[in-house]
Amino acid sequence: MKHRMVVLVALVLAYGAVPLLLGSMDYVMSLIIAALTIGGVALAWALLGNLGGLVSFGHAAFFGVGAYTSAILVVDHHWPVLLAMVAGGVGAAVASVATMPALRLRGPYFALAILAYGHIFRILAVEATSLTGGAAGMLSIPGFPTLLGINLASKTGAYALILTIVLLFAWLYGLIRRSTYGLALRAMHDSELATRVVGVPSTHLKAAMLVISAFMTGVVGAFNAHQINFLDPEYAFASSWTVLPIAAAIFGGYRTVWGPVLGALVVFLVDQLVFKELMPSGHQLVFGVLLGGMVILGPHGLLPLLGRWSKKEASHAGA
Amino acid sequence: MMKRFTSAVLSKRRALLACCAVGAVMMASPAMAAEFVLGSELPLTGKLARVGTGMSEGIAIAIDLANAKYAGQHHFSVQTIDDETNPAKAVAAVEKLASDHVVAITGGYGSNIIGPASEAAAKAGLVYMTSGGVAPELTQRGLDSFFRINNADGYGKAMVGLIETMGAKSVAILYSNKEATAAMATYVQKALTDKGIKITSHEFDDTTTDFKPIMNKVKLQDRPEVVAMIGYENDYIGILRAGAVLKPDVKAMVGVWSLATAQMNKEFHDQVQGVYGTSPLPYPVVFKGGEAQDFAAAYMNKYNREPDYLQQFGYVQTMLLIDAIARAHDNDGKIEAGEIARELRATTTPTMIGDVTFDKNGDNPNFTHRMGQHQGDRVELVWPANAATAKMNYPAVPW
Repeated sequence: MKHRMVVLVALVLAYGAVPLLLGSMDYVMSLIIAALTIGGVALAWALLGNLGGLVSFGHAAFFGVGAYTSAILVVDHHWPVLLAMVAGGVGAAVASVATMPALRLRGPYFALAILAYGHIFRILAVEATSLTGGAAGMLSIPGFPTLLGINLASKTGAYALILTIVLLFAWLYGLIRRSTYGLALRAMHDSELATRVVGVPSTHLKAAMLVISAFMTGVVGAFNAHQINFLDPEYAFASSWTVLPIAAAIFGGYRTVWGPVLGALVVFLVDQLVFKELMPSGHQLVFGVLLGGMVILGPHGLLPLLGRWSKKEASHAGA
Repeated sequence: MMKRFTSAVLSKRRALLACCAVGAVMMASPAMAAEFVLGSELPLTGKLARVGTGMSEGIAIAIDLANAKYAGQHHFSVQTIDDETNPAKAVAAVEKLASDHVVAITGGYGSNIIGPASEAAAKAGLVYMTSGGVAPELTQRGLDSFFRINNADGYGKAMVGLIETMGAKSVAILYSNKEATAAMATYVQKALTDKGIKITSHEFDDTTTDFKPIMNKVKLQDRPEVVAMIGYENDYIGILRAGAVLKPDVKAMVGVWSLATAQMNKEFHDQVQGVYGTSPLPYPVVFKGGEAQDFAAAYMNKYNREPDYLQQFGYVQTMLLIDAIARAHDNDGKIEAGEIARELRATTTPTMIGDVTFDKNGDNPNFTHRMGQHQGDRVELVWPANAATAKMNYPAVPW
């Protein structure tokens, strides 16, 4: 009951209070949208890491493929933007099939292999000039439409859209986590050999997690392409689309569902609104120190740390 | 006593009338003193930090000199945001500047960053003025609020003109696959082919660091008289290093932007000897004309070193914008993007880089560049002949 109340209050705040209070501040809204974009990728990355037990350094590949798929479908084939975004996710999921040979690898070998895939996709985007515009990229990509009277191209509309996408993905993540597959995946995380002995099809499950994670990342990549109306291979496949979500997920707590999203919001907004104001150049330094401190003081991330702190407060209050 | 009182009342009335008269004149005159804040979105960190900082310094000098020029009439200042060489952050920077009510934007570097940033400025109803993006696509989007003082054609014309003057019969073009460089390579290739010069082309990825395989092809397969390099600083140094190792039998190494500069001469002195690049100024700088000398003196005074072409372009673009803002304001006391854009299009202005006129797309069709050559500790202008400060050393290669 208490949990439902918390969720309800959070939803009211997210859909109501944020647009009402900050809706007129385009810059702040664009930062929140960017933070949620990173949060969406962080969530997808954490799903693969937490349930699939795979550490990926190549999510930028899925982000870029999703962005390009959607942009090409809209610009060249005049698809509706929202449908093209879903297709962007499907495109990234299909691209993830190409990376499946890497599932035979473990630990740092998988991470490096998938990093290489990211690089390959970037080169393909550069070389396929007739399709992607090559290194020049694509300018003036159409933005979001108006849906049910809401102009999704406005800052408030785009915020509502990315918020809905992230919430849907978090719900899907939670659903998988709570399912029997989720149980098997978490058991596999502790000992893959033991779960295989009891008949868990570990490779199939890992592959499924990779496809779902890629789909999520692709949709977020597509969202970003229509949000800033621009794409080029360097930007779409930038390593920052992997590094920032990983940092955000670890900061927020990648073992939890909401930790990566919270991490992205805190990390990005504090960096851009506070540190960048104080140190216009070199503010990333403070962010790096903060991240290092967080890993040392709370290795499980911000959300578990807050959970422990609130339990302590409650027990003190009870005493 | 009564007389003194009457006189005092009359004197007060006169003062009041005088105040009213002055007030009325001020109200009637559209040229009221005003404070204008310009916005600047630039890469001050990241891959393009050096060029972004250079342009930022030129903008700062423009603000200082504009405040001297319009002293007592208008006051200008600039609010700068670092876009971290990232398109999304450039868009966010423009949105922040718009929400802070800047009157227009000057800055931007890299066509791929300027593209989305200038679209964000257009959405916010702000004029966007730059010299940092030369890709043709930027002026083909139908944006009324986008202006730039330079373009790829101007650089291309200079490179082609120099090679034609050399009398070379064959040229190998090595170009980065970035938007602006690829567009310029296409232009140069077509122009040289039309002049009957034999061309071979080699595209390279912008992440390439080892140019020996390409240089080997140039040496053994193409055997050109001239190598044309169209890239950025790191690409030039990589190509020249590969040339120094493989020593192809060529007569000249010709580049474009960011090559014939004082900084390259100082930092890579031996590697760039005899190499050509576009350059509006020789080094050490020789400024001719009052405004140019004022600019150079102000820059030296502020930064204690000689200005480069980056500062010069930053200064020119900002001064054009400031003058247009002042004119728009003085016309009717209002500042709107449409009026600033109209003023920019309506005027041909003589500047340090030549006459600047903006066409309907915001491009400057008058833009042509000059070619410089590293000669010892100097960068001498060698093309066109009427701007030359020294004779061209040809053939000449660094190895």
